[in-house]
Amino acid sequence: MQLLLSSVCMALTSAVIGFAYYQKQQFYPAVVYITKSNASMGVIYIQFFVIVFMFGKLLSKIFLGTLRAAEFEHLLERFWYALTETCLAFTVFRDDFNPRFVALFTVLLFLKSFHWLAEERVDFMERSPVLGWLFHIRVGSLLTVLGILDYVLLIHAYNSTLVRGPTVQLVFGFEYAILLTVIASTAIKYVLHAAEMRTDTPWENKAVFLLYTELVIGLIKVVLYILFVVIMAKIYALPMFVFRPMFFTIRNFRKALNDVIMSRRAIRNMNTLYPDATPEELRQSDNICIICREDMVNHSKKLPCGHIFHTTCLRSWFQRQQTCPTCRLNILRTPTVNSTAMPRQGDEAVAAAAGNPIPAAAGVQPAGGVPPPAPTAVVDGNQARADVNVAGGQALPPNFADLFGDASGLPNGLPNLAGLQIPPPPVMPMISPFMIPPHFGYLTPLPPPPIPQDLTNFTDEELRAMEGLQRDHIVQRLKLLQNINLMLDSAGIMMSQYQSLSARLQLTAVTPATAVNGSADSSVYDMPSTSATAMAQLETHQVTPTAAASSASPTMPAEKVTIEDLGADADEDDIPSTATEAVSIPNSDADFEENSSELGELRKRRLKFLEERNKSAATNERTTAE
Amino acid sequence: MAGSALRRLMAEYKQLTLDPPEGIVAGPISEDNFFEWEALIAGPEGTCFEGGVFPARLIFPTDYPLSPPKMKFTCDMFHPNIFADGRVCISILHAPGDDPMGYELSAERWSPVQSVEKILLSVVSMLAEPNDESGANVDAAIMWREQRDEFNAIARRLVRKTLGLPA
Repeated sequence: MQLLLSSVCMALTSAVIGFAYYQKQQFYPAVVYITKSNASMGVIYIQFFVIVFMFGKLLSKIFLGTLRAAEFEHLLERFWYALTETCLAFTVFRDDFNPRFVALFTVLLFLKSFHWLAEERVDFMERSPVLGWLFHIRVGSLLTVLGILDYVLLIHAYNSTLVRGPTVQLVFGFEYAILLTVIASTAIKYVLHAAEMRTDTPWENKAVFLLYTELVIGLIKVVLYILFVVIMAKIYALPMFVFRPMFFTIRNFRKALNDVIMSRRAIRNMNTLYPDATPEELRQSDNICIICREDMVNHSKKLPCGHIFHTTCLRSWFQRQQTCPTCRLNILRTPTVNSTAMPRQGDEAVAAAAGNPIPAAAGVQPAGGVPPPAPTAVVDGNQARADVNVAGGQALPPNFADLFGDASGLPNGLPNLAGLQIPPPPVMPMISPFMIPPHFGYLTPLPPPPIPQDLTNFTDEELRAMEGLQRDHIVQRLKLLQNINLMLDSAGIMMSQYQSLSARLQLTAVTPATAVNGSADSSVYDMPSTSATAMAQLETHQVTPTAAASSASPTMPAEKVTIEDLGADADEDDIPSTATEAVSIPNSDADFEENSSELGELRKRRLKFLEERNKSAATNERTTAE
Repeated sequence: MAGSALRRLMAEYKQLTLDPPEGIVAGPISEDNFFEWEALIAGPEGTCFEGGVFPARLIFPTDYPLSPPKMKFTCDMFHPNIFADGRVCISILHAPGDDPMGYELSAERWSPVQSVEKILLSVVSMLAEPNDESGANVDAAIMWREQRDEFNAIARRLVRKTLGLPA
């Protein structure tokens, strides 16, 4: 088949040359004719490749003899990959594409093929027990020739790059450097194999040398690849054709590194953990290493399970598995320590999980009255709230009362209002616990109530009075706006008083309860009323419960004056709730008077508000002093 | 590394020639390469493979006996634990360590104490008693489990084929 192909190519070439010479009759014109004809050049190129192929076969006959089937298959596989990468390289160097370029790459592929074959042949040394002198002569000469060629071509590429700058020679320089590392690795392996074959006894250190050779060569290759990629990325573009061999090189290097680490660990473990076997033990246990099936004369190790092996055989096995080859006992102490550490961590995790319920249980126990720990305050609060609900109207400690008030201010507002409807004597003891919660609930319903009350209170006549465009209509609207302004001012004053009360609440433990009671009282009665005057009255009232006996007497005349100013008839009672109820009635009367009067009423209201403001300011000063 | 493997293979070959087990013949294909063996396995008596002689090939790694060899029948085989292309799937030939699929115990997998003789004896045992729980050839596993007669017929046909007899 190959002979037929080469014969056909030879015939074609001869025909082309003969035809050209026949046409031109002279040498030079014939050469020019062939050069300018694409078909003729194609035939010449094919002939060139055939000659290269035949030369390759000749050299392989000389240096390698007959190729084995496995070698040929591997060669074909690698050749196709190399050819693909060469095509990728062509795409990078499109500008430099010319016959010389193709010739250079052909030489590179040619040498690569022989490098691969040399590598295969040296690996085969270990597999074949029969090797003659012819084998050594062939392999030695092949390695020498390839090494010299790689070095010469590398120097040539290096000099060319220095002279002309970065060109395609960069790729050739890099490729020949890689091939040089391959040939170095192959040569070292050959020397090691040959040295071992010279002696009949197994050479223990050979595996170590092979391992470190693999590691060093792998490192050099990785560095070369990284250097090449960086240089090419700067000058041309990323060399895509290099990534596949680079990936394999890095993977092999990592595997070699892992092997070295495992080997060193195995050696350290064997030297420190396992004793040497004594001659008596060797005699007792059949004296044969089960791994290599040879006699154990010296350098034997006894594992904790009692089995004995060669030191080198055991080290090789430990690089893969840390178990006894015979009984598979897990024998390395380091993994044993790790395995025992894991259950300990598990126990700690279990203890931590068990610890979580313990604080919770401890938190539940203090619900009876002991102050709870901070993390379980919510749980304790729930317990306290449940106790409060169960207790009903019973008196509660200040702490639980505060929690109860914080949790449910609004719902307690209604019971307080309902409680007011009860006759005064029985209401007092009931009001005491329920007065506290609305302290914070008052803030929430502040915006909504005034609007519907205003709308409901206005009659149709009042609305028509404010809709017109005449003087009277504008006067009515101004009155309403002034009322709103007064109410807002009163609200602001009350807010500031609440802030001072809350500050006092934080200072002392006893006073806050009383203060909260006072604020609750005022906030409850504030809801039904919409008049600034009523608010002023409430402000005066809320000071009464917090004032001392001596300060209570000056407050009473103020109330009397206020009532007299309103002109309403009211029975003076010591009970504050009754007085508040009496105050609410005159508000409606005042509204009717306002409807009938005009500017005179406005002036009177202004004067009353100013007087009441002065009184409330004086009262605030007293409260602050207290 | 391959040096110790070569010495061990030579020792095993010597042992097999001196004391061959019944129904098994094995040895290197050529004197130049001890890492490729050829074996002839006789079908176990009392089974559907009785009377057959099945050729197989074993390829040993360079780190033998630390890693197991690969075994492949070079004739047509129809068996739950033999792939269609002839590769043998048996626990003794699997790399040491835990089975990633969870079917085999680590004690059943390869160990340096194993040998070619033990491998071949395990294969003979596998021919006699297939394991249909983890089938390499699913069709054969199902047929062996549910249509035993048809399986036996196919096996007998293969036996005659290996012997060169007409079907």
